[in-house]
Amino acid sequence: MTARDYAIRYGFIVLLVGLIAYFAVAADGFVSPQSAVFIFQSVAITGVLALGVTATLVVGGFDLSIGSVATSAMMAASYAMVVLEQNAIVAVIACLVIGVIVGLINGWLIVYMRVPDLLATLGMMFLLLGLQRIPTEGRSIATGMTMPDGSVANGKFSEAFLALGRHRIDFFIPNLIPVSVVVLVVLAVLIWFFLEYTRFGRMMYAVGSNERAAELAGAPVKAYKIWAYVISGVFASIGGILLAARLGRGDIASGNNLLLDAVAAALIGYAVLGAAKPNAFGTAVGAVFVGVLLQGLTMMNAPYYTQDFVKGAVLVVALVFTFALSGRGKR
Amino acid sequence: MSITRRLLGKAALGLAGAALLMQGTALAADKPAPFDKPGVKIALVRYLSTGDFFQAYLSGVEAQAKALGVDLRVLDSRQDAALQADMVDQAIALGVQGIIIQHGLTESMKDAAQRAVDAGIKVVAFDVNVENPKIPQIEQSDKDLAKLALEQAVKDNGESWKAGYVYVAGIAPLDRRNETWVDVKKKYSGINEVAQFGTLDNPIANSVANQARSVLQAHPDIKVMFAPYDEFAKGVKIAVDEAGLNKGIKIYSADISTSDIAAMREPDSAWAATAATNPAVVGQVSVRALAQLLAGEDPGHNVIVPPTLITQKELIDKDIKNMEDLSAKLPQFAHADVAMPAWMPNPNAK
Repeated sequence: MTARDYAIRYGFIVLLVGLIAYFAVAADGFVSPQSAVFIFQSVAITGVLALGVTATLVVGGFDLSIGSVATSAMMAASYAMVVLEQNAIVAVIACLVIGVIVGLINGWLIVYMRVPDLLATLGMMFLLLGLQRIPTEGRSIATGMTMPDGSVANGKFSEAFLALGRHRIDFFIPNLIPVSVVVLVVLAVLIWFFLEYTRFGRMMYAVGSNERAAELAGAPVKAYKIWAYVISGVFASIGGILLAARLGRGDIASGNNLLLDAVAAALIGYAVLGAAKPNAFGTAVGAVFVGVLLQGLTMMNAPYYTQDFVKGAVLVVALVFTFALSGRGKR
Repeated sequence: MSITRRLLGKAALGLAGAALLMQGTALAADKPAPFDKPGVKIALVRYLSTGDFFQAYLSGVEAQAKALGVDLRVLDSRQDAALQADMVDQAIALGVQGIIIQHGLTESMKDAAQRAVDAGIKVVAFDVNVENPKIPQIEQSDKDLAKLALEQAVKDNGESWKAGYVYVAGIAPLDRRNETWVDVKKKYSGINEVAQFGTLDNPIANSVANQARSVLQAHPDIKVMFAPYDEFAKGVKIAVDEAGLNKGIKIYSADISTSDIAAMREPDSAWAATAATNPAVVGQVSVRALAQLLAGEDPGHNVIVPPTLITQKELIDKDIKNMEDLSAKLPQFAHADVAMPAWMPNPNAK
């Protein structure tokens, strides 16, 4: 390997390590187990979404609806528990069902109705933004809220559900690792193994790199594509569950920032280890990278716009790594 | 003679009293023109509509319009400044007698508001300065809001503490609240702002929680968090709970909603107090000021709706669980005696 190859392969990882070293010196209290865990916690939700969108990127698609799927799932979970007074399991299942249904509809629109992926999922995004507000007529959901018909919703977020966002597992230090971080790590390992080492995952990459060739080789391209959107929908709804569990209420929110952060993480992931393609490991590293940046900058009292600026700069650098330096982005 | 005179005097007093009483009841029942007949049309032209605050504001407008017996049209531009200006023209074309402009941008609304005034329509504006002496400005006093919360913080914690402050510049109400914070810091030299952060990334509470966690990591000795917007306060509370610092930190904020009440009432909640103006009352006041204009009265150029301080203790002592309880048990929150001439029907009177 030449020096250039090394730069492409490990450049981004070196950048990440350098960043951590810098913050360790510049920001008090940056280096501690709690701080590390917290970085993971802060990116858990966007990280899960990013892993989902990675699946659609792998088949050469894109999913703009993940942010609104997440907030719709959050509203659905809150509605199930606060208004319908259901338990945690029902709430979780409702969210996952929403994820599956949205994924199926997205896939169907794209594969059978031949709507371009960006447009189909854009439409779905708006549809969900409206839909999630219809049951409560635009109100946020919280215990004791007044419903449109004047009655009071008395259900509560169940403790088991809240634990998904708040419980911490002992790991050398008591109460260290939040459940959401465990969920992120487990999902990351699962999707990484699935995409890299299973036949199904390899075929998804084949569909993404040359759809026609894959079809001629006898692969059920349509099914793979629909599956990718279902994975994306389900991951987004899991993100929504974590969000609801952390906030403890159903918040009227667009989720657009979740979408953007998730996409940024997935795209930064292209540059990790010189992969120059969507990959789960890269996405996870990308998410952590953004988390480290934001944690460090916030600890140094940097205002939000400089954080956006730095986030954008990192994304641009990552894309340059991917497309220019490696020279194999689009051959 | 003297007896007669006294009798006469008593009779006269009695008559006068009766007349006064009758006049009083007559005033309350008979509204001045044009409200003596049904068919008055007013329009609410909105810039912002999404979220609990704006929902509650609308319900206040609707309630007061109903109590007055006027026909209300709601035009919602959904944060489209150009469309909002067009909607004013649309309302003029609809033949409304009065228009409430709710939020918007001075640049786009100034001319539109002037066109409405030129067309002989009465206009009031809420939280948008249309720079027109003929248009009363309805305001919730953001400075008073911040002042109430901070005075409580000083009362609870003394005059010397380390503070974290959540602020995003460029948002008009937050900027006005910031002015008070700057003044308070000047007044009490013991207040030391060690960290300032804030973001409006959606969902705001989640993004602010992430930031606040980092801040607490860097400055675990913070005693008071001033988060003068309830979404900020929710985020800070999540972070404080996650860091397990909820017994050592107190949060002071502005605004209130049902879920805020629940968060403040939690056992050992760090959220100590909030200052709020009831958005429904602001909506009612908007309609009342407009009605006064239509009836030929002057509500004044600045119609200010005063805020209320709500403490955790009050919520628990009075067993207040949601916004309805709050209105019922804190009367100063349910009704503001602003733009309230004797003939004005009170939508809260049952």
